[in-house]
Amino acid sequence: MASQDAANKDSKAAEAKPEQAVADQKPAAALEEDDEFEDFPVDDWEAEDTEAANGGEGGKHLWEESWDDDDTSDDFSTQLKEELKKVEASKKR
Amino acid sequence: MDSMLSRFAEAQVKCLGYDLSHTLSPDLSYENLRAVYKSCNAHDVKAVIKRGIQNSIQNSVAGSQVVGGQLPKEEVQGWVEVYHAYWKAVGELLAIQESSTTNGKSSNSSWSTIYESWKELLSALIRGYLSHGFEAWTVPCLYVAGRHLRVFAIKADTERSNNMSLESTAEANFEDDFNPESEKNQMLEDCARQLNRVFNLCLSDRAPIDQSRKWGIYYVINLLFKTYFKLNSASLSKNILKALSAGRGDMPALESFPKSQQVTFKYYEGVLCFLEENYVEAEKHLTKALDMCHKDALKNKELILTYLVPCHLLTTHTLPSQKLLEPYPRLQKLFLPLSRHIRKGELHAFDLALQEGEDEFVKRRIYLTLERGRDIALRNLLRKVFFAGGFEEPKAEGGKPVRRTRVPIAEFAAAISLGSQETLDNDEVECLLANMVYKNLMKGYIARERGMMVLSKSGAFPGTGI
Repeated sequence: MASQDAANKDSKAAEAKPEQAVADQKPAAALEEDDEFEDFPVDDWEAEDTEAANGGEGGKHLWEESWDDDDTSDDFSTQLKEELKKVEASKKR
Repeated sequence: MDSMLSRFAEAQVKCLGYDLSHTLSPDLSYENLRAVYKSCNAHDVKAVIKRGIQNSIQNSVAGSQVVGGQLPKEEVQGWVEVYHAYWKAVGELLAIQESSTTNGKSSNSSWSTIYESWKELLSALIRGYLSHGFEAWTVPCLYVAGRHLRVFAIKADTERSNNMSLESTAEANFEDDFNPESEKNQMLEDCARQLNRVFNLCLSDRAPIDQSRKWGIYYVINLLFKTYFKLNSASLSKNILKALSAGRGDMPALESFPKSQQVTFKYYEGVLCFLEENYVEAEKHLTKALDMCHKDALKNKELILTYLVPCHLLTTHTLPSQKLLEPYPRLQKLFLPLSRHIRKGELHAFDLALQEGEDEFVKRRIYLTLERGRDIALRNLLRKVFFAGGFEEPKAEGGKPVRRTRVPIAEFAAAISLGSQETLDNDEVECLLANMVYKNLMKGYIARERGMMVLSKSGAFPGTGI
């Protein structure tokens, strides 16, 4: 596992080099395109053209609970039991 | 030149600020730039402009019903200076277009000379307000001047750093104390100072509100925010907000400004709060920005959500739905893997996904915030352990079955190592559990001597329905 990680890192470093050279040349331009809030083509608009009026944020259903009860907890519970056994076994040794 | 000045006169007579500002636009075709520049020469330009202004105003007044639309002499003089500066800037713009088409390197024209000439234009405008009695409805001229000043500054900085990297790659090694950061954005920093002048010009106007330059304030603030963010000194924006709130009493309400200005302002206000880790405030501002944003402004909505999603994760522990992110492939890439792992309580996979996207997250300044989502992933994992524990026999006959609330620490430990295949000490696991309790993500206590976690019978995991 560890050696694989190291190998990954090496190949990553090798890949990164040419990219970095390109990035160094125009970091300003890249950021400009990516990160900046754009000017709107029009100055003002009607309420019906807003995001809220078009099923946007107003609809709370766009945000979901952060947990999940749907998954088959049986699966998990068998996995957990196996893992428990493994851990116990390794401790006894 | 003549047609430009007659549009000027028309706007002056009708008091149309935006129409007026269009006459100062540098975004003209080559032919139009040429037409403006060649219509007079350096010797007679001022006289031509002055005559042009007076004649066209007279024509406009005569053609309309407005009575007594003549401009005071002082004001005419101010506008002559403005258009003179504009004419010179147009000359520079023309020169750079010509040099780029002929590919001649001999031309002295560059984006930094354009920047300087455009700065003259902005200064002429500022002087116009301070000493030539320009009226407040003309502030859109400041918008045009400020907006393009920023564009030219950025171009000038790019141009210079390109030239420098060509010339001095060899020498650079010798200059240890050379600070590329401050050099790199020299023009943009100067631009920020100029915009600050405009900001103060608007802020300090004492005229009654319906004739006040204060109506220009949010446009200028937004320009300043953009500039500070680009200079990587977002914190300077705080000074602006302070100055603004100090004068808020006699400032028109934000709601009475055009939506484009409101949304942009709310976005930056939100991001500033976000960077200060004030997520509750940030969420308020960003939600407002998103609600009010034009529905077709995809890029801007994407930017708002980039910060709003991490906010939601921390403040209300909610995740974006597939539907919310549907129009934004980039946000899907950014957030969906993390969201899935959080929801499923896949702690190790969460760590890997965070690592995977680290560069992008750091660049967008959301890494630290997302990292805190690990707590939620852990909470969900522990919650699954609690579920897997099943129910205890009801004590009373026919009583409701009760979940097993005494869970061996070892089970939590096993669950955590399930993904990573690394075994944690019990001490470490206890530490994690204690932290969960402290953060109110879990209710209960650790019975150390028994190696048990005793969870609350009512709401072991607050807010999640059990």
